[in-house]
Amino acid sequence: MTTASIRCTDLTIRFPVYGADAKSLKKALARAVSVGGALGRHAGVTDVTALAGVNLELKAGDRLGLIGHNGSGKTTLLRALSGAYEPDEGTIDVHGRIAALLDLSLGIDPTATGYDNIRLRGRIAGLSSREIEARMDEIAEFTGLGPFLAMPVKTYSAGMQGRLAFAAATAVEADVLLMDEWIAVGDADFQKMAHKRLLNLVERAGILVLATHELPLLKLYCNKVMRMEGGVASEVVDIRKVDQLLKA
Amino acid sequence: METATHMLRTGRRGALFQLQMAFRDLRNSFARLGLAWSLATHDVASRYRGSVLGPFWITLSMGLMVLGIGFLYASLFNLPLEQFLPYVALGIVFFGVMTGTINEGCDTFVQASGMLSQTSLPMLTFVWRTVFRNLINLGHHLVIVVAVLIFGGYWKVADPALALAGILLMLLNASWVSLLAGIASARYRDIPQIVGSVMQFAIFMTPVFWLPDRFGKHQVYLDLNPFYHLLQAVRGPLMGQPVLAHTWVVLVSMAVLGWGATFLIFARTRRRIVHYL
Repeated sequence: MTTASIRCTDLTIRFPVYGADAKSLKKALARAVSVGGALGRHAGVTDVTALAGVNLELKAGDRLGLIGHNGSGKTTLLRALSGAYEPDEGTIDVHGRIAALLDLSLGIDPTATGYDNIRLRGRIAGLSSREIEARMDEIAEFTGLGPFLAMPVKTYSAGMQGRLAFAAATAVEADVLLMDEWIAVGDADFQKMAHKRLLNLVERAGILVLATHELPLLKLYCNKVMRMEGGVASEVVDIRKVDQLLKA
Repeated sequence: METATHMLRTGRRGALFQLQMAFRDLRNSFARLGLAWSLATHDVASRYRGSVLGPFWITLSMGLMVLGIGFLYASLFNLPLEQFLPYVALGIVFFGVMTGTINEGCDTFVQASGMLSQTSLPMLTFVWRTVFRNLINLGHHLVIVVAVLIFGGYWKVADPALALAGILLMLLNASWVSLLAGIASARYRDIPQIVGSVMQFAIFMTPVFWLPDRFGKHQVYLDLNPFYHLLQAVRGPLMGQPVLAHTWVVLVSMAVLGWGATFLIFARTRRRIVHYL
């Protein structure tokens, strides 16, 4: 088993944001013909620097909380750590199996049953069909959804969907868990179980990176904290200094 | 698997590096073909969930269409049914594989945006998903193919091995167009309509419903239609007709050049596709 680690050096991510006009080939062609401009350039396309020179080093056992306003780059950093976004400058180096719980609907097909969705989610996470069947009972029990698992997910409440997604995603032995906000799903019982499972993960020499706006949640799960602002990251500090960080 | 436990991403650029990364995507997608297959079977299963016949709706609706068009055109053109029905059936079934792969290719990345934006899954996995989905559909149509070949007595003259080579070339060509359509549609949202119109135009301009020899002296123009070659390489061997040597040349060179050019475009746009979505 590898020990988990995350290292980002001078990580910069820029991406173009395409407006409605920039997404139309006909309009782009018309523009190119009438104005003589190059195809697809500078019209309704805004370049956004989502992360600017982020340095981050985490080792096994670290539970990092990301705080910052909306649009400060928390989610972009998580997506970059998951391998979805590639850096424009700098490097991302992650050791360990990554599980990203950024979007509840990942691999969730609303028309399929809970069981089918667990299978689908497991396949995406890299499990073989046999491995999934072997764990099915355990995952099913953890969701606490019982007979509902045989029903289509579209009939679920948001809380039930959260349970399903959380159970399926954490069923994979991940070394690095990336989470965005929605950890606060489900009722009190489920919260308690989710809490136990997360602590268990961190005990297995894992790393947790959690983006949240809620201070109590942060204090509950994290031992370190980093503040993002306009794509720039602060130093990683101990959770006890979170109040100082917020004032700064 | 190496990628599962260690991920290194750098901001390096340059054509060579981009090409290397594209090849790595290709390798990783082949290593996880099982995932593409699972996604494809899930797609087909969920499309027909809750219906009594399940995925065999595909077979039934295709069968009805083939029968209807077969009877209609056979009497319109005054042709013997046992010749014309197999001809039209094979044409519709195999042209459908191409149309399906290319049209659904437009959706490949858009549909996978949720997964692409929070995992490091290879992008080409989703292209194979689209191809496999259409292959599964073709599997359901094989009943019709066999039925019309027996009905017309063509099973005695059919050359399944050569037809298989034709199907392979058809898939190889349809898949690069599918990837190209996927990239273009992620960037420009009006591409799917354009692709749809082109494919609809193509089905009427290609001898799917009509016989090429009715075309008279204009037959030379058929040679310029790539879909004609693609279809002929599958339908010809199944109906015991010879396939012209230059058809194979056209198909192989189209596959090589098409994949080459598309792969270069893929290498260039790969890291941007997720931002298009």
